[in-house]
Amino acid sequence: MSIGYVGSGKSITAADIPALYEGAKFYSPAVGDASKASLVSWLMDLLERNGPVVLVRPDALPPQVHCVSLCVIGSGAALADLPPSGDEFVLAVRELEHVMHRRFGAVYPLAAATISALVPLAAASQLDVPLLDADGMGRTFALIHHTSMSLAGLSPAPLVVRGPTGETVTIEVRASARADTLLRSNVDTLGGWAALASYPCTAGDLRRAALPSTVSRLINVGRLLLEPVGADVLVTRLAAVTGCQRIGRGRIVELEHLSRPSDVTIPAHPSSVVIDEIGGQGRLFRLELRSEIVAVFADGALAAAAPDLVCLVDILRGELATLDSLEPGDVVDVLVMPADAIWYSAEGLAMVGPTSHGIPLDHPRRR
Amino acid sequence: MRNRPSTASLDLAELLRVEPLARAEAVHLADPSRRVHQVVLAETFERLGHIVPHSVVVLHAEAAAGGWSLAAALHAAWERNASVVVVPRAAMSSSSAVLAERLGIALLVIDDDPVDVALTLAGQISAPQCARAVRVALCAERLAEQSSIRGVLGVLNTELGHVPVALTIGGSVVAGRAAAVRERADHEQVRVQVHGAGERPWAELVASVPTPAADLGGHVGTLLRLARLPLLAAWAQARMDTSTQVAQERAAFEMLRRLGSEPATDRAVPVQYDGAESTSWSSELGWRVEGVNRAVWIAPIQDPGSEPPPELTQLLRATWQRHLPDWPIVADDDGWISWQNSADADSGTAMRRGITTMTPTARTHALVLGVGGAHAGIPGLMRSVVEARLAAYVAREGGAGSVTWFDQVGAQAALAWLPVGKIAQVADFCLADLMAARDRSSLVETVLTVLDCGGSLSQASARLGVHRNTVLSRVARAKELGLVFDDPSRRLALHVVCYALGALWRTPGAERSQ
Repeated sequence: MSIGYVGSGKSITAADIPALYEGAKFYSPAVGDASKASLVSWLMDLLERNGPVVLVRPDALPPQVHCVSLCVIGSGAALADLPPSGDEFVLAVRELEHVMHRRFGAVYPLAAATISALVPLAAASQLDVPLLDADGMGRTFALIHHTSMSLAGLSPAPLVVRGPTGETVTIEVRASARADTLLRSNVDTLGGWAALASYPCTAGDLRRAALPSTVSRLINVGRLLLEPVGADVLVTRLAAVTGCQRIGRGRIVELEHLSRPSDVTIPAHPSSVVIDEIGGQGRLFRLELRSEIVAVFADGALAAAAPDLVCLVDILRGELATLDSLEPGDVVDVLVMPADAIWYSAEGLAMVGPTSHGIPLDHPRRR
Repeated sequence: MRNRPSTASLDLAELLRVEPLARAEAVHLADPSRRVHQVVLAETFERLGHIVPHSVVVLHAEAAAGGWSLAAALHAAWERNASVVVVPRAAMSSSSAVLAERLGIALLVIDDDPVDVALTLAGQISAPQCARAVRVALCAERLAEQSSIRGVLGVLNTELGHVPVALTIGGSVVAGRAAAVRERADHEQVRVQVHGAGERPWAELVASVPTPAADLGGHVGTLLRLARLPLLAAWAQARMDTSTQVAQERAAFEMLRRLGSEPATDRAVPVQYDGAESTSWSSELGWRVEGVNRAVWIAPIQDPGSEPPPELTQLLRATWQRHLPDWPIVADDDGWISWQNSADADSGTAMRRGITTMTPTARTHALVLGVGGAHAGIPGLMRSVVEARLAAYVAREGGAGSVTWFDQVGAQAALAWLPVGKIAQVADFCLADLMAARDRSSLVETVLTVLDCGGSLSQASARLGVHRNTVLSRVARAKELGLVFDDPSRRLALHVVCYALGALWRTPGAERSQ
């Protein structure tokens, strides 16, 4: 396996899967490793059997080629309880083709992070179509209309969800925001998680609406993370590839749960992590958690906030600390990675900024 | 005394004394003397962005949602130099306490509705004199509940916090915090006289106000003046309960005596008390022993042979309290002890003034006074007491109301210890003939004078004012009645008997009882 930054790849082989998995985890550090082994081996088997998947940028395809985004929607716990049989994603795409009377010439991830970064690869292999090196979020956001496509005026509908139980729901809706609401209640009924095929559009639309190179970036980051080096070297390398910055290093002194009344729009319970900075100015960091770290306060001043991607690196283990593994006493580095520039526009911040998480403060990058 | 600047803005400590903040829990109190100029009821974070310095920020609704919101509010308040942040308990967390401490911003937790609290605070801050009046009223209530001098000083010191208060009598601290009387560069002293019976100054309340909070001086003065009556009441109450008082004073004086006779104590150095508070048994009685002491022994003109009756003690105590309220009076053995204390060596003028005040009373109650020398500290007091007692015994010769100073007595003091009454009884047995004679008084007086004059009849006749032959014939008659003083071995004994009889008969009515 080659190490280091290799630019945008042309294809993804079975050997790239572990790096892709690690990179996908990095961009959504909330998720644990429960289903890692089965997922990685399934994907590697698939790529070994079907051959490498072609990875293309949207502008490398003819503009009239129809494309569809894929992702996993629902809870990770449900996914572990009720593992995919493997055909949910392909069948969701087929159902959407049936509804729209067209064939899709390429698939792309709705969010190039977590398991949702991996399933489009499986689907591309099974459908024998290219995978686009682009996505709609550049990380994960909680709601399906929090995408660059949505900002560019594309609609997620019509969309198809197919659950692990073999059932399919098709949703036709005009308002993007309504789509998510309609979807959630159906996902619960479908078994807690489902394969989602949405944002049917053309490669020409995606040239202007999607965020480019977000899939090949995962593989590059994943390769760094797989290299066993110390935390300091790792942080420096990550900074070079992702533009992330270390806000500070400290010891976790407190975990506060349900510190705020839960917001109805975001499907996650809020809680806080308090970190006492080691060295530096000895600041007191407070991390606000939803399904991810949405804000970092340093001595009460907002230092970073969504859509920044905040992750913690466990110093002793030299690896990413997932949010469900945090414990008082852990020493961590707080890393902040800027999201795609589009998310810092007024519309982007209104959609995924701190205010959307119930923190009505100005974003530190816009002050 | 300065006028009270009633419109000066309140400080944090003042607000914390009155409702509603009196009920608040102070999680962190950076600087209680911080001024408070206005109150801000912050419902949103936008409002927090417009705080002016020296505000009380009461968090409410969105701004008091807890977790990060309190941390962000603390930061905003710190950035804008607010005086204090008040937060409902639901929004409080332990990490916020740490952050408040780190930023050095005061943080209070309330259980009441934040809107009500903010409204009440706004009223208090806009009319500081009202808040002060409430505070003064509360303090007056607490003062009125006190029944001891220490209790009153305790309330004052709790109420005023960083302003120490002490009660001094004649410049020495008898209760409270000694720090109040210490002269300090950045402190200003507020003094309030406490007048006892008859508008005589009894004591002084002293408070030391830090200069940065000097406009508090008026408020401090008000509280001190309020404390005067409870102080006097406590003092009077202690005095009224005289039987307890007498016992307490005796015990206390015994303690002093023991302290004075400690061999380890350097007699030249006055006893130093611990700076914080004077010893309870001496300060509550209002006794002062530091510095120079001069004792007075008051004795009945006749040696009663036992303790004087308690009625006489009460009478004397009443007189003392009327005329010499800051002089102690302690019943001891066959008399009473009092002493005058001054910071440095005195010339005796004050003592002379006191004695003059006392003489009519002494005459009325058939008492004599002896005055000891001036000596330093507790050992000095004890020495002065012994001297005064000797002087008092000598004073008995001068009749009721007479005063003797020890430095005038000299060796004559030795005679003061003679049990005159017992020796006179001996005479009844040894000199029965003489005692039966009708002219025994003149016979004894003549023999005593002759002996005093070393046997010279002419000197004796001159002192007695009679003819030499009269002296000669009286001496001859005395010898016939058994008073034969020619024998050297009997001369001292007879001289002493004559002295005792003479001393006994000299007091009015004494001879009649014989």
